[in-house]
Amino acid sequence: MIFGCGTLTDLLVPYLRQAGHLVTVLADDADALERLRREYQVQGVWITEPLMQDYLQEGEIETAEVFLAISDRDHQNALVAQIAKHIFNVGTVICRLENPQLQQLYTGLGLKVIGTSTSGLYAETRQLIEG
Amino acid sequence: MYVTIIGCSGVGYHLAKALLAAGHEVLVIEKSHSRCQLLYDELGSVVLCGDGTDQRVLKSAGVGRADILAAVTGVDETNLVACQMAKETFQVPRTMAVITDTKNESVFHFLGVDVVVNTTHLAVTGLEGGVPGRPMIHLLDLKVPDTELVSVSIPEDAAVVGKRLGEIQLPPHSFVSLVVKRNQAELAASNLVLEGLDEVVAVTVADEEQSLYDALTGV
Repeated sequence: MIFGCGTLTDLLVPYLRQAGHLVTVLADDADALERLRREYQVQGVWITEPLMQDYLQEGEIETAEVFLAISDRDHQNALVAQIAKHIFNVGTVICRLENPQLQQLYTGLGLKVIGTSTSGLYAETRQLIEG
Repeated sequence: MYVTIIGCSGVGYHLAKALLAAGHEVLVIEKSHSRCQLLYDELGSVVLCGDGTDQRVLKSAGVGRADILAAVTGVDETNLVACQMAKETFQVPRTMAVITDTKNESVFHFLGVDVVVNTTHLAVTGLEGGVPGRPMIHLLDLKVPDTELVSVSIPEDAAVVGKRLGEIQLPPHSFVSLVVKRNQAELAASNLVLEGLDEVVAVTVADEEQSLYDALTGV
């Protein structure tokens, strides 16, 4: 089950489908959902209201083995990943956070966190500037 | 007490005013500059402009010595992040949040938010109580998940009128705790006879609400 349908979801879905996994995507972008449904036969749940647990149940989260909270909104990812982990006891929960403070906070609170490493970007940028 | 308030629209503003009037030390953190300016003009230097989920902002607000952090923005997930950051990073002993998505209440409690106020539920309960006839009123959410106290008004032509409580079939997890009659409230003994216009106070769970209502009001 994937929350969010940005670039990362676009990259992951073809790979997951090719490997034979069942995929459900929850997102508020109806057009992107429709495209994923058409091209990769994923289940889509269109989010229109702030009723997160209802949408998770509509997507049958209790059957999910892996939950990816990878929208481009840190706060929403943090909430929904914790619901998946603690309320629905999904085995593997991965949460994308871009804010380094939140990466640290939620790693400390036991979430598996992914996101751009700002210290890496900083080092890389400096290296490029200094040639 | 030193109370940090995150978000200063309706709830935050009135909470700040009430706490200041009660003699507490208050600092409000608000994201919008124009809103901050308005608040500064009225409340003085208790307003800090910034993101209440940014550690640097919280640090400069002295959240480390706050007794309470109240996250009252209109966005549930932002309130959760603010509370978790306050508790984990700044060891604030008591965190409070408002929510609009009713089902977030148990999640927030589970994740360590001490006080969770469900504004949607409060508004609906208030409005429901104002509708004439008042079929079923939600009185209180109990500590047990999904369990609540409700009040049902018995119609004069209901099938249960004239029956003893012990004879009435209710859903398995629902039971009557109190019957409010015209002159007095009575404990729900099994030989108590129901009459039209009685107010029945019952414990029920979300799934059984409708069948409890049907059992008590059906003709």
